[in-house]
Amino acid sequence: MPHSRSLLRVARRISSDASAAEDLVQETLLRAWRAFGQFQSGTNARAWLFRIMFNAFYAHGRKTRNGPVIVSLEQSGPEFEPQSQPLLAWTDAVSVARALDGLSQEHRAVLLLGVVEGFKCREMAEILSVPIGTVMSRLSRARQSLRERLTSNGSQPRESRSNTACAEREAS
Amino acid sequence: MNCNDLGRLAPLYITGELDEWQAAEFDEHLRSCPACLRELELQSRLDARLREVVLAEESNAARVDSRVRQLIAAESERQIPPQHAPRSRRWASAAIAIAAAAIVLAAVGYRTLVGTSVARVYADAAWDHGVEVVDRQPRPWLTDPAQIAELAEKQGISPSAVTALASGGYRLERGKLCFLDHRIFLHLVYSDGVREFSVYLRPRDAKALPASVREISNGEPLCTSDLGNEHVASVETPQLTALVVTNQSSDAALNFARFVSAVL
Repeated sequence: MPHSRSLLRVARRISSDASAAEDLVQETLLRAWRAFGQFQSGTNARAWLFRIMFNAFYAHGRKTRNGPVIVSLEQSGPEFEPQSQPLLAWTDAVSVARALDGLSQEHRAVLLLGVVEGFKCREMAEILSVPIGTVMSRLSRARQSLRERLTSNGSQPRESRSNTACAEREAS
Repeated sequence: MNCNDLGRLAPLYITGELDEWQAAEFDEHLRSCPACLRELELQSRLDARLREVVLAEESNAARVDSRVRQLIAAESERQIPPQHAPRSRRWASAAIAIAAAAIVLAAVGYRTLVGTSVARVYADAAWDHGVEVVDRQPRPWLTDPAQIAELAEKQGISPSAVTALASGGYRLERGKLCFLDHRIFLHLVYSDGVREFSVYLRPRDAKALPASVREISNGEPLCTSDLGNEHVASVETPQLTALVVTNQSSDAALNFARFVSAVL
């Protein structure tokens, strides 16, 4: 079914395990089928599906992880060592996946919706039922946090770097 | 607009949600602030890498789809009173319900996700064309040919290359910068009045374009790659690397790439 892959990708990373993710997507599609009469033609149906999914997710009392995904040893590869292997972290898919899984559920959600699934901030605000300003700040923090996990010296906040750069530029 | 404003508004810039004047100010700041440009480039690389990693993961969507179809069929069956519905009619109704569900869910539109075996630069170009040209997501495009020419020159691309492509019935509609496979490309959109083509240009460098060679055009290999709805063709001239993307057909992409090869 269209979008089930997309839904499953996000569900997989906000749910406690693969089985819970499949259940969540299954429930989402069933809810969508039952409520299709409520869907307003001309609006973004993909966003509508994701909103149903997040509503279902929240309705289940967040029976979800707050920590990282448990990855089997066979799948995990080398341990994530950002301090010693900063360049490897950029190129190693396992490290990127682990860094993503290490983020908070809220940060994972905005990165998956915004960066991977291509939703706009306005759409994410509707999907997550939060103000757009919250989405923007979460997205900025999530990106910064992900970068910090992937680079050895990436702990300097974006604002600080930008301020420094701006000050240098203005001074010159 | 200062660096703090840029940091605050970057999420809206990346998703194309800034209004026109804000986007113009954002671009203006980027042009004058190498630090912010580097920051945004780094962010773009990280976004692209994250997207690539997550999209490459396998999923059991088929299993979920199968389960959902079964549940819909069962639910439809329950909604039909047995005493009033003959068995064959009940099954027909269930089948119709499944088909209807599939159509309903298909109606929301489907975008074929690019496979992981496809070269990154082609996947990025196909994705970019799909979002920015086919879906027409708002982006801070330049439409003034003089401004586009200036932008090209700053990227080391001769403005004459931009104007040379606006011939043979093709018209330059708009242009902007974008990132494909961690590298900056000049994204130009040309139209023949019916179809729109994205042309991605950057000065040729040592990194050759990977793809299956379809033919040799003007002594250079002309390559193609089909990614779902998008068709990509690429060619390299002594000075430039060019990618052509269209959602029309593989032949349309190939023909435009031949045209690019001939005029550049």
